[in-house]
Amino acid sequence: MFDLINPSRIFNWIEKLINFINSIFFILLIIALTFALILSPPDYLQGDSVRIMYVHVPSAWIGLASFSVIALLSILNFVFKIKNLNLITKSIAPIGLLFTCIAIITGSLWGQPTWGTWWVWDARITSMLVLSIFYILFILAHKLIESEGKANKVANLIAIIGSINIPVIRYSVDWWNTLHQPSSIKIDGTSSIHPSMLLPLILMLLVLLLYCALILLMKYKTEIIRIKKKNIKRI
Amino acid sequence: MIQNFILMNGYGFFVWLSFAITFLACGIVYYKTYKTLKKYEKDFAKELDQLSETERKLVLDKSKVASQFLASYNKSI
Repeated sequence: MFDLINPSRIFNWIEKLINFINSIFFILLIIALTFALILSPPDYLQGDSVRIMYVHVPSAWIGLASFSVIALLSILNFVFKIKNLNLITKSIAPIGLLFTCIAIITGSLWGQPTWGTWWVWDARITSMLVLSIFYILFILAHKLIESEGKANKVANLIAIIGSINIPVIRYSVDWWNTLHQPSSIKIDGTSSIHPSMLLPLILMLLVLLLYCALILLMKYKTEIIRIKKKNIKRI
Repeated sequence: MIQNFILMNGYGFFVWLSFAITFLACGIVYYKTYKTLKKYEKDFAKELDQLSETERKLVLDKSKVASQFLASYNKSI
């Protein structure tokens, strides 16, 4: 199964996928922005400030999902010792950090008109800040430790320890009395969000996921070339 | 109407700044990632080019990635 992510098997596909995403990205972006900024209605309580949700919520989801994937792959790497998984986690980490930071900043910009403050040490917000620290530690482990094997081990360990924070972020709004509102969107179909707001949210999520795929593919390709370049004499 | 769209009933500053920060950050990361990829591609192609004919043949025979890379790189330039 893991042979499917073998660089020599997928290298040819990376370029094709990058070109495909590039060809549909801007059309989807324009559609998503039209829905988010023009067609979706203002909230009856929060007014037009609710439009911040269309960048804040998908960013938070991506930040959280990226770390979950990194933690899962790190566990698999500890068990099966597959080098390619390290390339993938290393490529995902900067994307996760980017979106976690965007979620925190846009959350702050949403908090000011809604709660009257830029920042509170609320359980959800603080746990998101902790997530960004874990991302930074993960990236620093790869950057600062010279031995690649040791760097991978340390980074994997950071990801596994950091995974404890994932359920804390997810359930913080249920476990503690927080300023941050509980989830409006649930997988079990009991979502409290109106379809006119759900559609732009899904569209923006799709656009940002395509962007993530694009960056991931480019970073993964860079990593493959870096390794092949390093080992050129040994091939 | 355009003024309403820009002001967003007084929330324009927060909404536009949120979108601007998001797309600016994404744009910067895309640009940096793209530049790094192109730099590595150029360096790798240069190193392959510097190999002797027999060495290059050996590398291309043994490494699927190197041969696929060279084929796509030559096409793109």
